[in-house]
Amino acid sequence: MSEATLHPHTRDVLRLAQPHPRWFVPGLLAGIGSAVMAVALLACSAWLITVAAEMPSLAVLGLAVVGVRAFAIFRSVFRYLERVSSHDAAFRQLAELRLGMFRRIVPIAPAGLASTGRGDLLTRLVRDVDDLQDLPLRVVQPLLVAGTTALLSVVGIWLIVPAAGLTLLVCLLLAGILGTLFSGTLSARADRELAPLRGSLADEVLEIIENLDVLTAFDALTPRLEQLARTDARLRQATLRRSVGIGVQSAVVALFAGAATLGALYFGVPALDSGGGLLSPVLLGPTVIVAVLVPMAVFEVFGMIPLAGSAWRQVRVSATRVADIVPAAVPGEIPVDVVDPLTLCASDCASGPVVLELADLAARWPGQHEPGVAGVTLRLAPGDRVHLAGPSGAGKTTLAQTLERFLDYTGSYRLNGVEARLLAQSEVRRMVGLCEQRPWLFDDSIRQNLLFARDTTTDAELEAVLARVGLAEWSRARGGLDARVGERGALVSGGQAQRIALARALLADFPVLIVDEPTANVDSAGADALVRDILTAAADAHRAVLLISHTPVPDELVTARVTLPARAGGPTVISPCGAVRGGAAIS
Amino acid sequence: MRPLDPRLLRYAHAARRFLLVGALLGLAQTLVVIAFAWLLTRAITFTVAGEPLRTIAPTLAALAGVVVLRSVLIWLLEVAANRGAAQVKSQLRAKVIARLAERGPDWVASRQSARLSTVVTTGLDALDNYFARYLPQLLLTLIATPILIIVILSQDLISGLIVIVVIPLIPLFMILIGRVTQSVQQEQWQAMQRLSTGFLDVVGGLGTLKIYGRERRQFDRIRSITEEYRTRTMKVLRVSFLSGFVLELAASLSVAIIAVSIGLRLIDGALLLGVGLFVLLLAPEVFLPVRQVGAQFHAAADGLAAAEELFAILDDEMTPEVSQADAVAHTVQLGVGSLVLNGVSVRHGDTLVIDHLHAEFAPGQLSVLRGVSGVGKSTLVAALLGFVPFTGTLTLDGVTVPAGATRGWLAWAGQRPGLFRGTVANNVALGAASVDSTGPDHRLVVQSLRWAGAAEVSPATVLGVNGEGLSGGQAQRIAAARAIYRALATDCHVLILDEPSSALDSDAEAGLLVGLRHLADQGRVVIVVSHRAAVAAAADNVIELQELTHV
Repeated sequence: MSEATLHPHTRDVLRLAQPHPRWFVPGLLAGIGSAVMAVALLACSAWLITVAAEMPSLAVLGLAVVGVRAFAIFRSVFRYLERVSSHDAAFRQLAELRLGMFRRIVPIAPAGLASTGRGDLLTRLVRDVDDLQDLPLRVVQPLLVAGTTALLSVVGIWLIVPAAGLTLLVCLLLAGILGTLFSGTLSARADRELAPLRGSLADEVLEIIENLDVLTAFDALTPRLEQLARTDARLRQATLRRSVGIGVQSAVVALFAGAATLGALYFGVPALDSGGGLLSPVLLGPTVIVAVLVPMAVFEVFGMIPLAGSAWRQVRVSATRVADIVPAAVPGEIPVDVVDPLTLCASDCASGPVVLELADLAARWPGQHEPGVAGVTLRLAPGDRVHLAGPSGAGKTTLAQTLERFLDYTGSYRLNGVEARLLAQSEVRRMVGLCEQRPWLFDDSIRQNLLFARDTTTDAELEAVLARVGLAEWSRARGGLDARVGERGALVSGGQAQRIALARALLADFPVLIVDEPTANVDSAGADALVRDILTAAADAHRAVLLISHTPVPDELVTARVTLPARAGGPTVISPCGAVRGGAAIS
Repeated sequence: MRPLDPRLLRYAHAARRFLLVGALLGLAQTLVVIAFAWLLTRAITFTVAGEPLRTIAPTLAALAGVVVLRSVLIWLLEVAANRGAAQVKSQLRAKVIARLAERGPDWVASRQSARLSTVVTTGLDALDNYFARYLPQLLLTLIATPILIIVILSQDLISGLIVIVVIPLIPLFMILIGRVTQSVQQEQWQAMQRLSTGFLDVVGGLGTLKIYGRERRQFDRIRSITEEYRTRTMKVLRVSFLSGFVLELAASLSVAIIAVSIGLRLIDGALLLGVGLFVLLLAPEVFLPVRQVGAQFHAAADGLAAAEELFAILDDEMTPEVSQADAVAHTVQLGVGSLVLNGVSVRHGDTLVIDHLHAEFAPGQLSVLRGVSGVGKSTLVAALLGFVPFTGTLTLDGVTVPAGATRGWLAWAGQRPGLFRGTVANNVALGAASVDSTGPDHRLVVQSLRWAGAAEVSPATVLGVNGEGLSGGQAQRIAAARAIYRALATDCHVLILDEPSSALDSDAEAGLLVGLRHLADQGRVVIVVSHRAAVAAAADNVIELQELTHV
């Protein structure tokens, strides 16, 4: 559990998860209060009984009676307060945690998160960030509560029977150290052994379930099921072998709990024989009994520590994963604004037509050695509608991400004659818009999904733009602009999502619009109609449209075709289709 | 939630064995707890009576033995729980997968496959906590609680009665609080769910937000949704924690009451110190398992929820609609015999998708099946494959093909590539490798890839899970190559490809069409479902499926 082995970046992430003391301390105090009351309840009850057996004055006894009842009630009350207060603190910190992570993600998204391109990894990242809440709740708080309570109890017993106090201290330390050591090594080894087996089992199950039709049709199901049974058996065997080590930590803690009680007895008996120094003989017996019994209650509180240990391992895994995915510094392939207000172009390029010119443009994804796209030369002028084709892997999407300034470039990329890297990214994005391959719809109404493109739009204008992209009827049937699109657009088909994304782009009225593979997630029968509708709706004398698509596009819809060669770096082939002339040159 | 679902015992034999072993260990643990309390009381009363260490030594030695025994039992119970969990998970998994295989692809496709596989793998892991933390405590509650109550009763009637009165109050109060808070919780639940995904929504859509220059505004949005999430969650938690509060309060107050009552009776001399201490030490132990059951309730509920989904699949005893008829030995020579559909109707659920279709597919011809989206092209293919039941007759070379019979004469590639981890060669030769142990026929693999228009893909290329590592177009052509391999290797008479070129550019599509022509020329029935103009242009025969008008 040593902090020293943590990467500094991971430590930064963990620091974000720990609430400010102002929120954290009340819960901590309540937790310590509750744990101390639990120990005091047993101590006071034992004392009450042994004192009562010696028939003392009722006043002393009355005090004990009040104490026992108070400890019992306040233990539960404090526990309730602890849980409410510590959860509240963790949730308060969640906002800071999320904002801190978001601040780091903003400059690199989306290209710098390309390794999270698969949706489930992004979900994983977000869940990991949220799981970091466990740091204050299940790691720091229990450790501090158990530690403080144990320390107070050791001091208390040491005051009564010094040797018993020391025994308790030694037992607590040994139980803590040995138990954590055992379970740490064992679980690390188990993870090494079991994680790959679990992974391959999950993969095999997924393949069988998702491809049951293929396996059945190719008479390959039976051998697959046999193979799965073998993998399952291997995992089961490994788990069974490992199970022997599982209970060691609890057993060690129980052993030392018993040892502490025995030690207290062993040292308590002679202490009683020799007679106490400070206490009167009547009170000495009961006090020693308390010293004998308290270790039991202390070890019950101490039981939080092994749980905190396993929570810590999980938190650490989450924090490491977050630190890995979200780099501390922006990678070189991602553009950073050169803030130089002098080169910010004036109002003439923020609105009005834009001419986009590329010359020998190349770009690379973070972490890749080879350029994703290279040698692109192209000119887009207002009124152009260009179909960018090319086999998969040629870098069509890379080009789109570069034009949007999500990736940095070499070569030349000019907007109205100004080099794009000298412009603020936001400036470029005002001129060049993109409909992504997988348009992201926010879990909100259709209105909200359109409004953020231009928030001054009236409902009538929104309905008009929906009609332009062919969604008028669909939107009416679903109850108009207030219909929700579902989480990640779950209630909307791939084609409808593309049309909503297009409507959004039309509202923003980008002078240059890039549409990246609109038919990628659309069933093949609907694809042609979608491409036709997109090109028709986006056509405008003031706008240049670049349609990226691997499927054929009818000639009458476009003014030129560009084909990216299979290997990045080959010459860009531009074929005339009316307006554009051939060759690897600019039109 | 039922504390113990009987179906768990029915579907997983290992669960029964664990319950038996666990019960025995629980019994042993209870006896050890009593022995520990008794020996400790004995040692303390000796001490108070002023006995020297020598007299107490045997008791201390016995106590040490009990401590060791207790640790061993705790260890054994955890080992047993973990072994039980591993075995139960394995048994449930095997049963469910077997059931899914038995039900067939159409049934599985009607459920979310990603959800299903998560439930069968990581979802089942939630049972770990159920076994490791919850079940042992439940067993202890059932075994230890009555034994300890009897022991306390036998020692001190009043303390025993206090425990007997309080113990039933705990579940009663928890149920009452649960009832009262249920409506509050449900009201908040949906809002909470939505807010909890709010952050994912913003991070996932960050690219889109940047395109529209809205990324800076999201800081406020994140803060406000997280704050609202906190407020709502805390409202729910304040109430939920009440049940834990009641549990703790009942347990500690009854210990306090017992302590005070023992104390007062000790003054009167109505009770001996030994008895009083013994009862005081046992009293918290009575409540411990019940408290643990309460504390582990949520972890257990997660595990049971996962198991519940599996039980739902296993409970569904409905016989499969497609009867698995025996394979009809059906060898048809290439070049002879058409595939004829005679009045074939297919229902999907309650909807009639194909109504009395008559069609003939002749050998040597490339036939194209067309129709608007949703007309039922893929459903018809599923019926031909035997995945979906149909009425009417399907004959091959004049011989009727029963609905559920295996289709040795049919090679198929679906809309989804459906590739597997492993080399391209192994994917292309799927199913054949098990027939003869020599593995894929390299020459045939290369030929199949060429005919599928995928000559540039090396057969040695290694794919990830679900065929990861290929572009959509490549995966589609590998799937076509797989069907072609089967057709070539086993002299399959019929080849059906469902939208094989939807992700292909025109060059690749042309390559595939050339390959299909070769296969038809060898005397096969070749059926392609496609809306692409180039495919229709290359066909000998185009069949249009008409949309049914539903009333």
